[in-house]
Amino acid sequence: MVEFPQSIDDLPTSMPRWVGQPIPRVEDRSLLTGQTEFVDNITLPGMLHCAIVRSPYAHARIKSVDVSAAAKVPGVVAIVTGEDARRETRPIYTAPPGWGGNCLAADKVRFAGEPVAALAATSRYIAEDAAELIEVEYEPLEVVTDAEASVREGAPLLFEERGTNVMYQRKFVWGDVDAAFAAADHVVTERFRWHRVGANPMETFGVVSQWDPIEGTLTCRGSFQVQGFSATGAAATFGIPLNKVRFIAQPHGGSFGGKGGQRGTTITTMLSRKSGGRPVKWIEDRIEYLSAGGGQAWDRHYEASLALTKDGRMTGLRVRLLDDLGGSAEGYGAIGAAKPLASFTGCYTIEAAEYDLTIAATNKLPCSAYRGMGPPPHNMVLEQLVDIAARELRVDPAELRRRNFIPKDAFPYVIPSGNEYDSGDYEATLDAALALADYAGLRARQDEARRDGRLFGIGVVSTIEPGVFNSNVYSLVGFPGGTAQPEGVTLGIDLFGTITARVGFAHEGQGQHTVISQIVADYFGVEPDRVRVVVQDSMNAPPGYGPGGSRLGVAVSAATLGAADRLKDKLIRVAAKLMEANPAEVELMDGKLRIKGTTGAEMPIGQVAATMLTRSDLLPDDMEPNPQATYVWTAPGRTMPDESGRVKSYLTAANACHVVAVEIDRQTGEVRIDKYAIADDCGTRLNPAIVAGMTQGGLAQGVAAALLEEYVYDENGQLLTSTFMDYLLPTIYEVPIPDKTEIVTPSPFTPLGAKGMGEAAIHTAPAAIVSAINDALAPFGLRATETPVTPNRLWKLLQQAKG
Amino acid sequence: MKPPPFEYGVAESVGEAVALLQRYDGEARVLAGGQSLVPLLNMRLARPAALIDLNRVRELDFVRASGNTITIGAMTRQRSVERSPDVQRQNALLHAATQNIGHPQIRNRGTMGGSLAHAHPASEYQAAAVALDARFTLAGPSGTRSVDAAEFFVTYLTTAIEPDEVLTEIAWPALSPGAGWSLIEVARRHGDFALAGVAATLTPDARGRCAEARIALFGVGPTALRARGAERTLTGAALEGGVFDEAAVSAEREIDEPPSDVHASGEYRRHLVGVLTRRALREAAARAGVATSTGVA
Repeated sequence: MVEFPQSIDDLPTSMPRWVGQPIPRVEDRSLLTGQTEFVDNITLPGMLHCAIVRSPYAHARIKSVDVSAAAKVPGVVAIVTGEDARRETRPIYTAPPGWGGNCLAADKVRFAGEPVAALAATSRYIAEDAAELIEVEYEPLEVVTDAEASVREGAPLLFEERGTNVMYQRKFVWGDVDAAFAAADHVVTERFRWHRVGANPMETFGVVSQWDPIEGTLTCRGSFQVQGFSATGAAATFGIPLNKVRFIAQPHGGSFGGKGGQRGTTITTMLSRKSGGRPVKWIEDRIEYLSAGGGQAWDRHYEASLALTKDGRMTGLRVRLLDDLGGSAEGYGAIGAAKPLASFTGCYTIEAAEYDLTIAATNKLPCSAYRGMGPPPHNMVLEQLVDIAARELRVDPAELRRRNFIPKDAFPYVIPSGNEYDSGDYEATLDAALALADYAGLRARQDEARRDGRLFGIGVVSTIEPGVFNSNVYSLVGFPGGTAQPEGVTLGIDLFGTITARVGFAHEGQGQHTVISQIVADYFGVEPDRVRVVVQDSMNAPPGYGPGGSRLGVAVSAATLGAADRLKDKLIRVAAKLMEANPAEVELMDGKLRIKGTTGAEMPIGQVAATMLTRSDLLPDDMEPNPQATYVWTAPGRTMPDESGRVKSYLTAANACHVVAVEIDRQTGEVRIDKYAIADDCGTRLNPAIVAGMTQGGLAQGVAAALLEEYVYDENGQLLTSTFMDYLLPTIYEVPIPDKTEIVTPSPFTPLGAKGMGEAAIHTAPAAIVSAINDALAPFGLRATETPVTPNRLWKLLQQAKG
Repeated sequence: MKPPPFEYGVAESVGEAVALLQRYDGEARVLAGGQSLVPLLNMRLARPAALIDLNRVRELDFVRASGNTITIGAMTRQRSVERSPDVQRQNALLHAATQNIGHPQIRNRGTMGGSLAHAHPASEYQAAAVALDARFTLAGPSGTRSVDAAEFFVTYLTTAIEPDEVLTEIAWPALSPGAGWSLIEVARRHGDFALAGVAATLTPDARGRCAEARIALFGVGPTALRARGAERTLTGAALEGGVFDEAAVSAEREIDEPPSDVHASGEYRRHLVGVLTRRALREAAARAGVATSTGVA
């Protein structure tokens, strides 16, 4: 039985020096000096380069594909088409199942940019030149780009055999919602439109695939966020045993969910096979990423209602979501519609809730995962309803929230959708944020601004960030999910007394390797730079999933602690034998094994490990010469969804309150952020510098979703924002550096009490900024309900104020 | 994102550049800082037979101040223009326009000539050139010729440069003594091309009346354009509140149908022209030392 320390103070050290400290990340030295080996740095002997031919049409039947001219170009080695894909591969797995095709389309294309053919040549230049010579004849079909139109009778069908564009429909009802609304003194209702945004890592997806024609094995090096999952997908796609597939995750330049890469991996594998086993590299270029990669998510039409009593108690929530998933379900974007179940009713004691969910296919890029994975739009909707109610009830929005918070002594608390929140003190977080922002001072400035005719608004929003995902909730939309979400770490001490941690995920910017180093350093009394974290490929790593759903900080620290506990037990048994003591009397403290409570007889861990490796005659009888231990952790107590969809999914519930003040230029519609304050609670902070970085990054993406980013399609399904000229990532000039403070309520469910916080401020910022804008607009009775709130949209809205 | 095949020629003088252009008979493009051309090549939106690289033509990299004019070589990096004490002293509008181009990394590579020859209608350089009547020197097989800004900018991404000509230098008249200036715009992000913008100068006479007004509107048509009607409204008038409103209304009416795109409708752009003209004139007047009524612009 493994014992986990419940807090930093429980670590076997007289004074924790590393865990909980903002130490620099161990990943940074190599990153900052340009030594990190990203996938595009890889060159293998005989390597070829892939270019992909993509459909210019959003919806069309493929009449013919002629590769003869391209095949004649010197340097072209292999060409594959949709017919090859149909013959050699299975359709890409989708959620919901059955709504997708092969990696190269054979019969029809369903979005502009869908791959139809690909080739491998001796350089990317030659590959792109030759790709232009592949002639594809299309028969254009009627295009549907709007989800509301696509679910109507008579809409052009993307998957004719399904007879509908509705990929998924389910109405979840938890509690007596009808009664709550019937008894309500106030019901506020609004419609919202959240336009497509998505992940944009610095590095796009890339892969080098190599097929071994003799052994029938496949090796893929790539910027895989989750190498084991990707390897499983590849084995299924090609119908080969999983033990013939090796995926090697390179360190990568961010992911945020946008690095699925299924099609590129499958296509390069086909090309490698066809070229007799030469490695084939494909680096997705930025236009491919934006228009046909994993960078789009959350294209949503909402209608939602909140029921309240006359004293401002929230009693019921109804959310109807029409989620536009695009041209297939291959990007797992549907998960984003399921995850809101993990925090459906936010920070509030709402007891009855309803979720009427429809997922629709349209002729746009299939949606993928994106940091936050669905709740950010949901939070925006819920929090706007709360603000509308506050205005109707003439209650301060902060006060209305306070009245409805789950009280701090009510944890663990089960919300109507079945998830359990571990701990929290939402009122403390709110108070801390209000104090930090000088809320009263901001309201005074607002009064003054209004007297001057200026539009100044304040948003106060508290949200939950579900942490440590479990795919049990994703199974509701057809994701292959169970209740185990393993993460494994192997720890070993070598002959020199140095410690190696073996994990199954590459670093992509979050700093989990640093967290492992911190924990091992305190646990075994060494300096963090004496700990080496080694990334194992999918064949060698212990079972594990990798980063995603704010899980890895908690998961990997738990796995590290589990492995450390097992390793410690071995060391104790050996040391006890050497010291002629009962193992129960020996303890690990500050890197030494000693008789409990004494300081005289003690042995450094390195000495014990070296003895294990060299002197079998000194070991206990049943002891292997192996100073290594593995632990594979999964969140305890998870269950599959019940018949009403209730499910205990995410293990932790971090909480944040953002207070933001904005001023709107009444004539131009420009929004300027005047003040930004954040108080958050993610339990124990394993590395506060990493937490701060996560918060700042999540804030950038939240500001972007509220004000800047939007994938815009025209009526023909052509993406109008296919470069960074038009898809507006925020820059340092657009993102505020917030004032920050923290509340710490440790999680009782995780080792050390940490909560998942890798998505962080993106859960809160869009809601808070829209709230501030709507507070500024309140004197006119106007509100923005469409994101991003662009100057043009806001100006148009303000036109109504002038009449 | 790889360009189609092209030949590459390096010129070390203007003469060599012109000779190379002639050799390719209109199928070559000149490469300056590459900030606009290289993405167009990589997206295969531009397919020249050859690139003529001007980056080693040292004679085109200079900032020369003389009397009432600053002459700037076409290959002068925008960052050099920005840092030039002569530019800062003589032509604050040009300095401000330079600072509005992208970000420092872009200005380190981007050249003044490249930006002007690319002729993006929302370019701050184009607006400043149109406002100040800059003159452009073009070198071709039969020698050099000079054109003014109104002639130089033909339409969207199109200039008066002939296929066998090279833009060599731009002469910028200094701001009139006592003139105030303004360059303001609405852009989605810092450093982006403007949705709409206004470059203006106002020169008051001794009695605080407008001796000369120059207003260029940009981002709202195929080229930057002078708001001549608004300028006439201002000339001779007392520089105070009402006349700015009048000029703004005029400017709004002087533009043709402005473009609509994913960031702004034509209607919104037209509205911005009015708002920004009013604000630019107030700011220019304030910089010229003319007291104007304050309040919400």
